[in-house]
Amino acid sequence: MRHHVEILDAKTREKLCFLDKVEPHATIAEIKNLFTKTQGKSLKDEDVLQKLPVGTTATLYFRDLGAQISWVTVFLTEYAGPLFIYLLFYFRVPFIYGHKYDFTSSRHTVVHLACICHSFHYVKRLLETLFVHRFSHGTMPLRNIFKNCTYYWGFAAWMAYYINHPLYTPPTYGAQQVKLALAIFVICQLGNFSIHMALRDLRPAGSKTRKIPYPTKNPFTWLFLLVSCPNYTYEVGSWIGFAIMTQCLPVALFSLVGFTQMTIWAKGKHRSYLKEFRDYPPLRMPIIPFLL
Amino acid sequence: MAAASATAVAKGNGGGGGRAGDASGTRKKKGPGPLATAYLVIYNVVMTAGWLVIAVGLVRAYLAKGSYHSLYYSIEKPLKFFQTGALLEVLHCAIGIVPSSVVLTSFQVMSRVFLIWAVTHSVKEVQTEDSVLLFVIAWTITEIIRYSFYTFSLLNHLPYLIKWARYTLFIVLYPMGVSGELLTIYAALPFVRQAGLYSISLPNKYNFSFDYYAFLILIMISYIPIFPQLYFHMIHQRRKVLSHTEEHKKFE
Repeated sequence: MRHHVEILDAKTREKLCFLDKVEPHATIAEIKNLFTKTQGKSLKDEDVLQKLPVGTTATLYFRDLGAQISWVTVFLTEYAGPLFIYLLFYFRVPFIYGHKYDFTSSRHTVVHLACICHSFHYVKRLLETLFVHRFSHGTMPLRNIFKNCTYYWGFAAWMAYYINHPLYTPPTYGAQQVKLALAIFVICQLGNFSIHMALRDLRPAGSKTRKIPYPTKNPFTWLFLLVSCPNYTYEVGSWIGFAIMTQCLPVALFSLVGFTQMTIWAKGKHRSYLKEFRDYPPLRMPIIPFLL
Repeated sequence: MAAASATAVAKGNGGGGGRAGDASGTRKKKGPGPLATAYLVIYNVVMTAGWLVIAVGLVRAYLAKGSYHSLYYSIEKPLKFFQTGALLEVLHCAIGIVPSSVVLTSFQVMSRVFLIWAVTHSVKEVQTEDSVLLFVIAWTITEIIRYSFYTFSLLNHLPYLIKWARYTLFIVLYPMGVSGELLTIYAALPFVRQAGLYSISLPNKYNFSFDYYAFLILIMISYIPIFPQLYFHMIHQRRKVLSHTEEHKKFE
């Protein structure tokens, strides 16, 4: 005979859980397990009621996630900021540098090049947000937009201030250094875009399916052989290129912070790939081939 | 801020009985293992002793000199040693033998270490300021109580007096310490400006600049939002901890 077990909170007497498929010989440990499993991860919109591990009476727990905002809105806002802010410094609008520098232009080629690269990067991101990415989740918590914009806008202003400063010092190894760095930047931007396209093609429009990404005919996607998240690898590469090109310490610090965050994300993604797919390629590392 | 910020982590550096915020008896208290407990007891005893040395040093110097000015020099070395040693507490949180947040503990210890090394040590002219004595006394009393609190908690034998002291004396010691810290930073400002201490200006080949003077002013401003939060958190903790003990006493 199956038992119904009701679990209440000891202090508030609130009903926490109702288990209705409990065998009479189940131990308390097993009951505890059932309890934590039902409290586990959130259900997905696509889940079918029949297929859930509940009895004839299903108890669904409602969790208020708080104020939400769409991913698209957050991305557009956090990327439009740096694009605009950098240009304020590039054009040396008043009250940033001394008055005698208002609306003047730098005499260093690399400064103009850096503006083009930085602007291109964020225009690319905005276009990808609008036309390329297919988001798993519709929304994220509202407070994220303040956190994210502070990060992106703050760093953009900090970097732009030095690169466009009248006392800016061009790279030590001159045109050679700039050319090499530009090559790294361009290759990584193309790589990053290729990965975004490959990931988009994995998933039909309007769906939320998840599949293992594999290399395609595009050589930039061959990095999938070695890492789970080559988009992050290429992103770090772009910023390293930009740092070498401008020889600006704040850019290097921004790259380091970004790398740290992307590594955390890559490791998480790698772990969920491993959990979801039994046949996941074993050679792959999360973000840096063979290392990390 | 740094004065009582160490005590603001009510759940810090202790085993079972030290979790002041844990009023419910139904929660399982999973303390550190026996080896970790032994180590923590030794650590907390050593720290208590260290700050007692500083306290005694202050008293003796005061009696010898006949005035309370420039007492910093008499306890400079043990102060630096034992306050810097508190960095170990970040490690304790990181490896999990103490149930506090690494971030919170880092913040608190780093702010103390900053004041000792980046302000008082670095700007010699402020070492004779009375404000230094103000925060040193506040820290000394706070730390002696705090580390003995942890020691007793780990041994599961916490005298009510220690608990009371930890959750009451901060009311005076915390503002006292904050005042000492702010006055010391303020006194350091002109010397930092004059010497261009820890500052780098443009142009340079890494296209970076840092103005330590402006940084110190930002630090001082940050006390405005942070101090009230920590202070009222401690007041709140005090109500919870001391009234809970009262209830238990009633039913004994």
